Amino acid sequence: MERYDIAIIGSGPSGLSAAINAKVRNKNIIIFGNSNLSRSLVLAPKVNNYLGFYGISGTELRDKFQKHIDDMNININTEKVNNIYAMGEYFAIMTANKTYEAKKVILALGIEHTKPIEGEDKLLGRGVGYCATCDAPLYRNKIVTILGYNKEAESEANYVSEMANKVYYIPMYKDEYELNDKVEIVKDKPLEIVGSGKVEKLVLKNTEISTDGVFILKDSAPPQQLVPGLEMEDGHIKVNRKMETNIEGCYAAGDCTGKPYQYMKAVGEGQVAALNAVEELSSILK
Amino acid sequence: MVKEINDVSFESEVGTQDKPVVVDFWAPWCGPCKMLGPVIDEISNELDEKVKFVKVNVDENPLAANKFKIASIPTVMIFKNGNPVDTLVGFRPKQSMVSEIEKHI
Ligand SMILES: Cc1cc2nc3c(=O)[nH]c(=O)nc-3n(C[C@H](O)[C@H](O)[C@H](O)COP(=O)(O)OP(=O)(O)OC[C@H]3O[C@@H](n4cnc5c(N)ncnc54)[C@H](O)[C@@H]3O)c2cc1C
Repeated sequence: MERYDIAIIGSGPSGLSAAINAKVRNKNIIIFGNSNLSRSLVLAPKVNNYLGFYGISGTELRDKFQKHIDDMNININTEKVNNIYAMGEYFAIMTANKTYEAKKVILALGIEHTKPIEGEDKLLGRGVGYCATCDAPLYRNKIVTILGYNKEAESEANYVSEMANKVYYIPMYKDEYELNDKVEIVKDKPLEIVGSGKVEKLVLKNTEISTDGVFILKDSAPPQQLVPGLEMEDGHIKVNRKMETNIEGCYAAGDCTGKPYQYMKAVGEGQVAALNAVEELSSILK
Repeated sequence: MVKEINDVSFESEVGTQDKPVVVDFWAPWCGPCKMLGPVIDEISNELDEKVKFVKVNVDENPLAANKFKIASIPTVMIFKNGNPVDTLVGFRPKQSMVSEIEKHI
């Protein structure tokens, strides 16, 4: 299998800044993310604090970033990364269908603004999970409930319905839902996951569902779920001045490392992370 | 070496031991389990004298998996005198796995 020098997770300002800086140094990189680069970028109506671009809109800035990476032949891999395992010498990066290997990893995940729901942390791994396709076979002939925060969650629900006895789908967004007949849609607000020792039911505003498992499918799982063993501090990834995390060879940059949540801080951190990763790579070669 | 045990041998392999027993619940379809396998192998070589290491395939051994409420794999459980004393859900890097296990030696 090809082993990349650096894998960058996230295609927002911090990830892109890391990518261009690593590419300039001739490193073999792979970057995972979104086709529209970053939702936070597209949503910004007016940006007045990005040096050199006074009064630009988020989408205009996005287009400039896109042109920059196109010119440097950097292509975004739009697969979602489900897990990253520190194997010692390298990192194994898992998406739904494939495994990638990289010597260094830069986490440029942004921040998930939605709060965990009541009971989520307590029952994590005891019926609560963040990757339905990963654990689906454990729910053969059981009842599974999926809280879907994006379109991709629909295909996970369809997949789980091939094994589970019953699948409930709670959409957390408005759209047309492409779900098969075996999946029951419940339009209601989830309040709490309840169970002693393991998940027993999901309490919603107007109803309750008895269930063996609850999967919470957002754009990104919490960083410490994504990278087992990763140290956090006040809800953010803990880094030092070199943007190193507690795991050797794993760096983090941008909103995921803490406030302020700003473009220029994000691109600066992405650059520092990439340059340090490059440095480390060349010291390995020596 | 990590011994493969099953529903039938579980009690005798795990239940009646003086030293702590580390049980790795896994399945062949589980990606993270494949990653954790070699990590546990390495640790078992290092801690061989103080700790016993076994693994249970949850596909073939539903009784053990149900009894210990395995809802996500890999799950590593640590037993002492037949009683579960710790449950570690999901992959973790070698060093952090070692320090969790060493707490029970
Ligand atoms: C409405 C709005 C207006 C704003 N206005 C301003 C402003 O005027 N000035 C300013 O400085 N800042 C502003 N910000 C803040 C700014 O958007 C953020 O600070 C910046 O986008 C952070 O960049 P980032 O690279 O850290 O993360 P993001 O831009 O959030 O990018 C993270 C990317 O990683 C992807 N990702 C995450 N996990 C995974 C995974 N597991 N697999 C694959 N991809 C993954 C995400 O999908 C996303 O595309 C605004 C934010 C919002 C929401």
